[in-house]
Amino acid sequence: MVTVKIDGIEVQVQEDTPILKAAEKAGIWIPTMCHSELFEPYGVCRLCSVEVIRGKRTRIVTACNYPVREGLTIQTNSAKIQWIRKIIMELMLSRWPNVKVVSEMAAKLGVKESRFPSLERDEAEDACILCGRCVNVCREVVQAEILAFAHRGIKREVVLPFGDQSNKCIVCGACAHVCPTGHIKMVVEDYKGKKPEFTLGVKTPISVPTLQAVPRVPVIDTESCIYFETGGCQTCAKVCEPQAINYKMEDEIVEVEAGQVLLTTGYDLFDASKLAQYGYGRLDNVYSSLDFEAILNSTGPTGGKVVMKNGNEPRSVGILHCIGSRDVENHPYCSRVCCMYALKFAHLVHDRTDAAIYQFYIDMRAFGKGYEEFYSRLLDEGITMIRGKAAEVVERSHGINGDGSLLIRCEDTLIGKFREIPVDMVVLCNAIEPRHDIEAIRRIFSISKSPDGFFLERHPKLDPTSTMSDGIYIAGCAQGPKDIPDTVAQAGSAAARILSIIAKGEVDIDPIRAFIDEKYCAGCRMCNNLCPYSAIDFIDDKKISQINDVLCKGCGTCVAACPASAITGKGFSDAQIFAELEGLLAI
Amino acid sequence: MKQYRLQVMVCAGTGCVSNHSFELKEALDREIKKHNLQNETEVVYTGCNGFCGAGPIVVVQPDGIFYQLLKVTDIPHLVEEHLLKGRPVKKNLYTPPAEKTPIPKMADIPFFSDQTLIALRNRGMIDPEKIDDYIARGGYKALAKVLTSMKPDEVMSEIKASGLRGRGGGGFPTGVKWETCKKAHGDTKYVICNADEGDPGAFMDRSIIEGDPHAVIEGMIIGAYAIENVHQGYIYVRMEYPLAIKRFQIAIQQAREYGLLGKNIFAKGFDFDLDVRRGAGAFVCGESTALMASIEGRPGEPRAKYIHTVEKGLWDCPTCLNNVETWVNVPQIILKGAKWFSSVGTGDVSIDPWGGSKGTKVFSLAGKVNNTGLVEVPMGISLGDIVYKIGGGIREGKKFKAVQTGGPSGGFIPESMLDIPVDYEELTKIGSMMGSGGMVVCDEENCMVDMAKYFLKFTQEESCGKCIPCREGTKRMLDILERITIGEGTEEDLLLLEELSNMIVESSLCALGGSAPNPVLTTLKYFREEYEAHVKNKKCPAKICRQLLTYTIDQKICLEIGHGCGVCKKNCPDAAIIGERKTVHYIDPVKCGKCGACYDVCNFNAIIIE
Amino acid sequence: MPRLKIEDLDKIADQQRRKMTVREGGGKAKITVHMGTCGIAAGARNIMSTFLKEIEAHNAHDVILTTSACAGLCSREPMATVELAGQAPVKYVDLTEEKAKKIFASHVLQGKLVQDYALSIGSERIQ
Repeated sequence: MVTVKIDGIEVQVQEDTPILKAAEKAGIWIPTMCHSELFEPYGVCRLCSVEVIRGKRTRIVTACNYPVREGLTIQTNSAKIQWIRKIIMELMLSRWPNVKVVSEMAAKLGVKESRFPSLERDEAEDACILCGRCVNVCREVVQAEILAFAHRGIKREVVLPFGDQSNKCIVCGACAHVCPTGHIKMVVEDYKGKKPEFTLGVKTPISVPTLQAVPRVPVIDTESCIYFETGGCQTCAKVCEPQAINYKMEDEIVEVEAGQVLLTTGYDLFDASKLAQYGYGRLDNVYSSLDFEAILNSTGPTGGKVVMKNGNEPRSVGILHCIGSRDVENHPYCSRVCCMYALKFAHLVHDRTDAAIYQFYIDMRAFGKGYEEFYSRLLDEGITMIRGKAAEVVERSHGINGDGSLLIRCEDTLIGKFREIPVDMVVLCNAIEPRHDIEAIRRIFSISKSPDGFFLERHPKLDPTSTMSDGIYIAGCAQGPKDIPDTVAQAGSAAARILSIIAKGEVDIDPIRAFIDEKYCAGCRMCNNLCPYSAIDFIDDKKISQINDVLCKGCGTCVAACPASAITGKGFSDAQIFAELEGLLAI
Repeated sequence: MKQYRLQVMVCAGTGCVSNHSFELKEALDREIKKHNLQNETEVVYTGCNGFCGAGPIVVVQPDGIFYQLLKVTDIPHLVEEHLLKGRPVKKNLYTPPAEKTPIPKMADIPFFSDQTLIALRNRGMIDPEKIDDYIARGGYKALAKVLTSMKPDEVMSEIKASGLRGRGGGGFPTGVKWETCKKAHGDTKYVICNADEGDPGAFMDRSIIEGDPHAVIEGMIIGAYAIENVHQGYIYVRMEYPLAIKRFQIAIQQAREYGLLGKNIFAKGFDFDLDVRRGAGAFVCGESTALMASIEGRPGEPRAKYIHTVEKGLWDCPTCLNNVETWVNVPQIILKGAKWFSSVGTGDVSIDPWGGSKGTKVFSLAGKVNNTGLVEVPMGISLGDIVYKIGGGIREGKKFKAVQTGGPSGGFIPESMLDIPVDYEELTKIGSMMGSGGMVVCDEENCMVDMAKYFLKFTQEESCGKCIPCREGTKRMLDILERITIGEGTEEDLLLLEELSNMIVESSLCALGGSAPNPVLTTLKYFREEYEAHVKNKKCPAKICRQLLTYTIDQKICLEIGHGCGVCKKNCPDAAIIGERKTVHYIDPVKCGKCGACYDVCNFNAIIIE
Repeated sequence: MPRLKIEDLDKIADQQRRKMTVREGGGKAKITVHMGTCGIAAGARNIMSTFLKEIEAHNAHDVILTTSACAGLCSREPMATVELAGQAPVKYVDLTEEKAKKIFASHVLQGKLVQDYALSIGSERIQ
């Protein structure tokens, strides 16, 4: 520790601490423009110039990077220093008169206007002031080294490699984050061919995936985390006191041996951008139901406030039902849940804003317990219900009177008229559709799909939770669109089925099985792939095929196919069948 | 070994090469063969002789006959007369200005005779591409001495005792620098030779490298040995010096072949190697931290030097960087001793290393003097002696006005201060500096505002733009000077200019910004009346700033001598000249664009400029 | 090229000495062959070549050989002046190759003046 005297205040700090930090400790403010804690001091704005007195020598140094030594006396605000700072602000003002941080700092340092007319005057409010913060953060923190200065002297500017967008840029947004003038902006758009899940704005790579989960552990999204792109940043590790950040942790494949499986793989949301007429992904303020769910969420991007992209409350909201469902072009089935959540949206929007709310429906299906009552209540709240599927959503040209920036066109089938409703915000009730990977899962478990693409149950009425394969159960939207109560009921039933078998401790199987006579099996493996239940394995040691008794359903496909006639059905051997035939003929 | 009677030394410095000295050698070889002299005459390329204003230069030895301004067409006559018959050719000899008798011998020419050669001791004497020539002049003897009989500390104290100080500009005592580097923590250290000579009109480093590359190499090896833990050095040369780079590469190759670079030098267990790094020619890369950044492959921008490069330099290792001229002095100090070196110069360095300036300094003398070129003078010589004795006085008998030392960021020194000795502290005291050794002489026809503007324009363009005072400040200074030279300056502008200059000096990040206002500050100090003439009377006393001049036609001369010839009218791009043929012509001051075309074309000197 | 030992520095310097002597000036002796038109006509070229050969043969790298214009005594050409360091120059006249060799061996190398061929000691004064 060394003792230094800053403006008469003695302060003890570690040797080599920059004066700026020592002054902070002494409670003394030193102006800076280019400095940031994130990277090494750059020392270019020179605003933090201070006088250092050591013995007889007085020097002017920059506080951000001058390391203190024992016995230093520092003057941070002498007449000379004030003079230097004022001229620096004059120089900056003459070039960037309208940049807020510049004029604010100038005002703080008592500079009203510049005495220097400048040929390089830049009137922009978000002009680049060449502080270098973006360049330094990109180089030192992110370690992507995309941004750099080009040209010399007065022509200096911040550029991308070869002045063009670089595919080495990892779009981390750190530069925009540190830019003091807003010169660098983030634009949300397709990135590397991926559409962001929610087009609602910037999200950090660290998030808690499920807020209600216990323990509530945040995870790092390795696809957007700077460290996984460049090896840089690691800011989270630096600030995490218990040092709980582990970059080496990887997704694990856990193998669990199980006798029974309940498939609850859920659903995908229909991609509304396929229906270009509704403008999803193209027009601002057109949201999918899940987007809107996030907006309404108090931990979501807007903190639960219903606002548009520009931050204003919408004056009117349109909710469009049956986007992709009840649609012969896409999904002919009804998604079942949309009518009710659309009503919930309407209720919440009504609750939180003064917006006018329009629902565009084909038929209202409020069939559950208390649902119809909710519907009636909503009608009393003053929601406008328009019967008719919306035809398209378009942008309104400027200057048209009305309450919205978007226009919904539809045919109102109740009054038999074509209508145009101006709204500020559109919420689409996207269809529930089978998960994109459902085919792969189906193959793994050897179960079937129904024509709508969801898993096929053993019997639609009598056995809706089990499948044709013993021990494989399905529940929830993997089986077909359904709401939460139905899903809970179905899953509970499946769980009970599973438990009953576990409680019993053994599995009952039908006695009919196929059997391979090792003597005759030539090991041709023809039967292996034919078995619909994957019950036949090839034994490499013996070079023969063998049937798993538990899996075999005794269907006889292999019996018929075996070229060596090595397979027989137990209790259905040729001799037995012939004997039976003989017995019948003998009568 | 073949013995020659005559040695014809053809200067192959860049100045002479661009004046076709390579063609001269070809012609010489051809003519010599024609006269069957090839067995007694050897034609040799040498490094720069320094008298570049007289190039291309050929010196015929053994008599030291100095030929200047030669053309290929002069060669046949020269070979026949001098080489064959032994009669020096008078018309190609050097004749001092205002005299008639030529001086045949190089040693008698004042330009050469008044110089003291240490750094340039091998100039014109050796073929820079032959290591044997260097060895014949005592080369690598210092290295041998160091490796056989001196401990690193002894070398260090010898250099310290010599009082050698950095020749690159700052004048930091070399021994102190070496010692700090030696004491700095680190197992890997570097030495660097700064040959990024960026000053306009300065070429001493280039000339030394081109003429005597091995001396630099020897100096660096000795430095590396003294500092210890140094096994790699770099020579940073700008790309604009292709010949220097080539000669360095040849020299390094030869030194490696002789085992003077590489592992186990002279079998004494000391390893050291050198590489050339080429710079892209930014002026700021002559600044040590920017130079190191450039070697590392980063943009050449300086950083704050609160932690010195001798502690944390190249790749964060302790690094000792010295200028070409500094390195060249090292072998001579080792060979001849610190006492010999410190006997030349000013002050006393035995207690305070900053106490004086020792040895010699090479200047590149340019501007309005008769003899321009490279001169090596002992420290302490007066500026007047350099200008008048070595430089041969002002051209065409004009009046001396100022001399600027230290490159584009040096200050202008007025006539009243010409007896100031060449000394680091003395020059700094009067607002100029030693710098790397540029020296520009101005005569009465130079406008000091214009000169200041010229040099500021250079530093402003070469500013890296990293810190605000230098980037924004120098541009605003230039704006003000621009206003003054076109007659739009006010008296407040002068005060503003002075204030801004002082602020830039105080607050810039590196020495480029810190010294860029020097030309402006010194001219404001010593030639303020010229600024005031521009501002108050809107006149340029030296008649340089065109916008401040008025052009008129002397009616009498125009009519009586020129008979209204009309040439001026025909050539005026602004159609500002009125008058019919054979009558008096007038200039319309409103239309006149002040281009000066009329003045240039008038055959009767009837155009008056005021 | 082999790696140098410290002693090699002197060897190289020695080999180059002749060249350096010519460039640096100095040297033990200086022979000036007078090469005016008359001298050349009388065979001065041969004399000069002889001297050069002698220098090479004796490896006398500190002897400087130079030429001058007509010495004014055209009838006695070819002529040469030998000047030892610190001594007055001696003019030799009516030279032949034999004489030149003798002069070189005796005067230049051993410092003994060859009386028989010498014309005078000292040079004419220049006003």
